[in-house]
Amino acid sequence: MEQETIMKVGDALPTIEKTITQQQIERYADAAGDHNPIHLDAAFATGAEFGGATLDGTIAHGMMILASISEMLTVAFGEDWLRSGSLKVRFRGPVYPGESATAFGSVKRVNAVDGANELTCAVGVRKDNGDISISGDAVVKMPVNG
Amino acid sequence: MTARMIDYSKLETGQELSNQSLILDAKAVGDYVAAVSDDSSPTASNGTPLVPPMAIAALALSAVINALQIPGGTIHASQELGFGGVVRVGASLDCRATVAQNSVRRGWRFLVVNIEATSEGGSVVMDSKSTIMLPE
Repeated sequence: MEQETIMKVGDALPTIEKTITQQQIERYADAAGDHNPIHLDAAFATGAEFGGATLDGTIAHGMMILASISEMLTVAFGEDWLRSGSLKVRFRGPVYPGESATAFGSVKRVNAVDGANELTCAVGVRKDNGDISISGDAVVKMPVNG
Repeated sequence: MTARMIDYSKLETGQELSNQSLILDAKAVGDYVAAVSDDSSPTASNGTPLVPPMAIAALALSAVINALQIPGGTIHASQELGFGGVVRVGASLDCRATVAQNSVRRGWRFLVVNIEATSEGGSVVMDSKSTIMLPE
């Protein structure tokens, strides 16, 4: 994996944009073994609740959308993300088939910890209508000497 | 086969929900990567394909979903993850899931589930905490 360069507070992470389709949701349900009808059955999902809102149809799995944040962090930090990454997020709103969702992030803190730079990043997923569907923090340790 | 009904109110903190091997073979990882359209293709410096960390989290969570027989309408509210090492494609992990918290608020049951994934060498490569909301 290519070694990443040291980032500083305020630096943006490379965004990852995906357009979600029902076919992709079904594929994820099979791959991840999660066949909750809220993702697969429009009649069941319509009218169901999510965070105080009423759904208009099926929604993508939260873990499926979260994958784009981890992909972004893999692109940004390479093997350091796999070796030392941590993530804490809230699923704040649904992503429907046909919507685009963009993973974004920026460095908000850099601390020297045990011979490494520990970067804390604000991360999230924003839909094309501006709504935030996921928000939280990610932390990764990057050895000072690579 | 008769479905086993789970009384979620009886799940206790520390109770083991599942403990099983997760085999991250090329098909399982490939299916996952295709499903999420992950283009990051992590590889080790020697070119060995590595498992995207979220694949470990998602596939480990599927064992819990099956064990809990979660009802339709269940919502995933929040997620914490920690990764502790690279995992090559083809590896097998031991995944143990336990109940961290079980409470009822505003008509929803909040279940917090811890999962720890351990490599064949005995090191923890992923730990997670999932908060799911089941309709009461």
